[in-house]
Amino acid sequence: MIISERVKRLREQSLNAVETISAERAFLITQFYKSNEAGELSIPVKRAKAFEYILKNKQLCINADELIVGERGPGPKKTPTYPEICLHSLEDLEILSSREKVSFQVDEEVRKIYRNEVIPFWTGKSNRDRVMELMTPEWLNAYNAGVFTEFQEQRAPGHTVLGYKMFRCGFLQLKEEIREAKSALDYYNDGQAFEKNEQLKAMEIACDAIIMYAHRYADELVRIAEAENDPVRRTELMQMAAVCRKVPAHPPESIHEMLQHYWFIHIGVITELNPWDSFNPGRLDQHLYPVYMKEMKEGTLSKEQLYDLLGSFWVKFNNHPSPPKMGVTASESNTYTDFCLINLGGVKADGSDAVNEMSYILLDVIKDMRILQPSSMIQISKKSPDIFIHKALDIIRTGFGQPSCFNTEAIIQEMLRQGKTIEDARNGGASGCVETGAFGTEAYWLSGYFNLPKVLELTLNNGYDRKTGAQVGLKTGNAEDYLSFEDLIRAFRLQLNYLIDIKIRGNNVIEKTFSGWLPVPFLSLLVEDCISNGKDYNSGGARYNTTYIQGVGLGTITDMLTSLRYNVYDRRLVKPDELRKALEADFKGYEQLQHDLVYNTPKYGNDDDYADQHAVMVFEIYYDAVNGKPNTRGGVHRINMLPTTSHVYFGSVIGATPDGRKAGKPLSEGISPVQGADKQGPTSVLKSASKIDHMRTGGTLLNQKFSPAFFEDEDSYKCLTALIRSYFSLDGHHIQFNVVDAETLRDAQKHPELHRDLIVRVAGYSDYFNDLGEDLQNEIILRTEHGDV
Amino acid sequence: MKGLIFSVKRYSVHDGPGIRVTFFMKGCPLSCRWCHNPEGLSPEPETVTRTDRIGDMEFFQNEQAGRYYAVGEILEIVERERVFIQQSDGGVTFSGGEPLMQTPFLAEALKACMSHGFHTAVDTSGYSPADNLTKIIPYTDLFLFDIKHLDDEVHLQQTSVSNSLILENLRILIDSGKDIILRIPLIPGMNDDPGHLLRLREFIIETRRDNVKRVSLLPYHAIGSSKYKRFNIDYRMSGIQPPSPRRMRELKDFFSETGIEVKTGG
Repeated sequence: MIISERVKRLREQSLNAVETISAERAFLITQFYKSNEAGELSIPVKRAKAFEYILKNKQLCINADELIVGERGPGPKKTPTYPEICLHSLEDLEILSSREKVSFQVDEEVRKIYRNEVIPFWTGKSNRDRVMELMTPEWLNAYNAGVFTEFQEQRAPGHTVLGYKMFRCGFLQLKEEIREAKSALDYYNDGQAFEKNEQLKAMEIACDAIIMYAHRYADELVRIAEAENDPVRRTELMQMAAVCRKVPAHPPESIHEMLQHYWFIHIGVITELNPWDSFNPGRLDQHLYPVYMKEMKEGTLSKEQLYDLLGSFWVKFNNHPSPPKMGVTASESNTYTDFCLINLGGVKADGSDAVNEMSYILLDVIKDMRILQPSSMIQISKKSPDIFIHKALDIIRTGFGQPSCFNTEAIIQEMLRQGKTIEDARNGGASGCVETGAFGTEAYWLSGYFNLPKVLELTLNNGYDRKTGAQVGLKTGNAEDYLSFEDLIRAFRLQLNYLIDIKIRGNNVIEKTFSGWLPVPFLSLLVEDCISNGKDYNSGGARYNTTYIQGVGLGTITDMLTSLRYNVYDRRLVKPDELRKALEADFKGYEQLQHDLVYNTPKYGNDDDYADQHAVMVFEIYYDAVNGKPNTRGGVHRINMLPTTSHVYFGSVIGATPDGRKAGKPLSEGISPVQGADKQGPTSVLKSASKIDHMRTGGTLLNQKFSPAFFEDEDSYKCLTALIRSYFSLDGHHIQFNVVDAETLRDAQKHPELHRDLIVRVAGYSDYFNDLGEDLQNEIILRTEHGDV
Repeated sequence: MKGLIFSVKRYSVHDGPGIRVTFFMKGCPLSCRWCHNPEGLSPEPETVTRTDRIGDMEFFQNEQAGRYYAVGEILEIVERERVFIQQSDGGVTFSGGEPLMQTPFLAEALKACMSHGFHTAVDTSGYSPADNLTKIIPYTDLFLFDIKHLDDEVHLQQTSVSNSLILENLRILIDSGKDIILRIPLIPGMNDDPGHLLRLREFIIETRRDNVKRVSLLPYHAIGSSKYKRFNIDYRMSGIQPPSPRRMRELKDFFSETGIEVKTGG
């Protein structure tokens, strides 16, 4: 262990903190919106003033032992709500506090504030109300049937990562940039000049607000330093005060200043709104390395101090569960980690290997801290040394699920195809689960998961959804009406295009609600070129603006189509109407048929072209339906392939399927094969998964479960490294390893109390096994253990 | 020409260097008590019953164990794995059963793989006419050679054959200069008594040449018992516990004194 007693205490503090709903932010934003001042302002300025009001009145928190200050709520794991986005009812709060998994404590004070202040003011006025009112009946039908989910229904857009600039620049300099942008406004030729001026005014207020917030901390630190008896801690507190006096107003010049600088920014972003896939520092090893070298040379920082600072920084992320949801999702969705994905390695802007000493230091921190957040990944380029991968495998083998492995060349190629400059592409990486982005310059919004197998189910049932009793798709016919496999595919394409268009229409309306009512002046400061464009992040101010729709269930739909072709059209084992009856009966009385579908039918994940051709087919149809369709921000829609946990929900809304899957069971996740369908080992899975064209996506997710046996010695490491590099040479985007044996997991289900620390890779992120729902737990157990094959 | 193969394993990482494809060839002249591949014993295809589960229901399906492959099919399978083999400096391994029972096919398959640039390995019991061995030596980069017991009587009793041919063949291989990994299955109560272990170590020290690259210790494991049921063969190892990891570490140290690299498993 390299972590000190102090960091151990901080870690315990974070692990033991209880998730609690805090009504502080909801109360403050309501107070502000009710004030006379608020009524007089333009919307951007009003949002900036609201931000300032919260930061001015928000309770400060300085935890014992810590070196980096600032919390999202009044204390660790005290989690704010965002009534302007979505309004929790008293019933929602009840569910959150009483649900079995990941509950949030709700005390009487919170209920009172909600009852008396928040609910009366925001009822009918939250953005969710606005969005739901604007959606068409077709959208609502498809949404209710589970064809897609909507990311921006309960959270704000904001899939963005901090880039190089913000680690080198203070907010006073940003104010200078704003002044320049203002003076460059051309009221003679630019019809938008007035609006731009309002945006810039708002950004300026946001600059002052974050500096003011840091200074409040500086004052408070001095105050408690003076009362501190321990002279060592007193000096520390005074130093922390000096840091808060300096950053984020001025550029950070030491590791301590850099980490605190970033953390104020982080708090700013997640206080302003609740953006999806929480904001993160991105290429942290690159940002810290030059300053680290300078400090080492000048002798201003010892290794012990460095690890204390990093440990103190690390727990900050873990203190922040993402804001809990409302309505149906309050009981259903139980993954509440925010998705901070720290990138290590990759290449520099000039294309050379970026792995440096700080990459290894941070790997050590990840290994020893062993906490859920922040999550981490390594970018592996052709130039990365093997030892870098081996060091990561050292952590992966412990079953921690981190770091995940990404293909730098793929990330770069994906971005170049999207028209980014080579420097922006090389400075980018992946965030959230696996999403490719240009760090510091791109607003890449995820708009929702898309249930591909559901579309095929609708295609087999004349567009009618049995579960909701609604005509969701087009009337293209029933299973028995398709005389050939080609007929079926034609109908599937029509259905998919129709449903994607519904989703895109929805996206383009929802984006406008954020642009119109919920601009984010603070976030706009951080993403180039919002200032010079005089445009908000939510209105297309960023250099690049992309909207993603995430395809889910590739493995399942591939097996469905393969089974239909093999058993209905090629072998004629079963007639389409008979198959439909079997599916409607959930295979009751058709068990022999189900057996054939499960055990005697080709499956995706075995490097079998007969099956895999359908993955490519679905991919191409999906790509054609989405890619290049304009969004409202001057960019376009694109696809990526990742599920988070939606494959469980999406499975629950689909009846039995032609691949032998029973009704309601989870779908396959990411681009991984159906759980248990891969019988030829990992190389065949990777071959199958590489047949789709990853380069035309913004990220794909492949989960590979290994038993610890695969990590036993140096030879195993070499083979795993070769396995990863091989997949990447086939243009695979991402692979992650779940290292744990099924027996342990089964035991954890039986005796959760003995396995509280068991972390597993779910799908692009890790979570505590105990916090997962039973189906998800079962699914993880089912995933093929290649070690036992 | 076709060969009878009962299993193809991809991402095989214990049968030679790197990532490999291992072909398990059907038919074996030995009958080792601890054999964990009983499906490799008979040199004919067999019909076995497979049990599949759907929920609580069981489905029984007859299945053929062992299928004839043409050399072209072997190459096709290996080619599909080329990227992994290339990246890891891996290759292809023929194991069994006893691959030398199908020497004409084996030689053709090895030759084809080698001419396509793949590293080739043969995992053998060494029990085969020397002629067969000479036929494949030119097309084999690495031999994985089993040594089970040095006492001929015990060998005969435990494996049903004498070890004299095996030890002569080992000599031929060592003289051929081809790379060799000696594999010692460690079977509790069969070959792990202190006396035999000392004799084994002496033997290795005497026989070693530069081309003996490694000694692999293969701890007995009980994976075979359920397979035996399927193949209706008596399982004669009931109640025997695999050696503990600690014991394996001790044995590793013990054999390291031969001066050759020792590895547990593979």
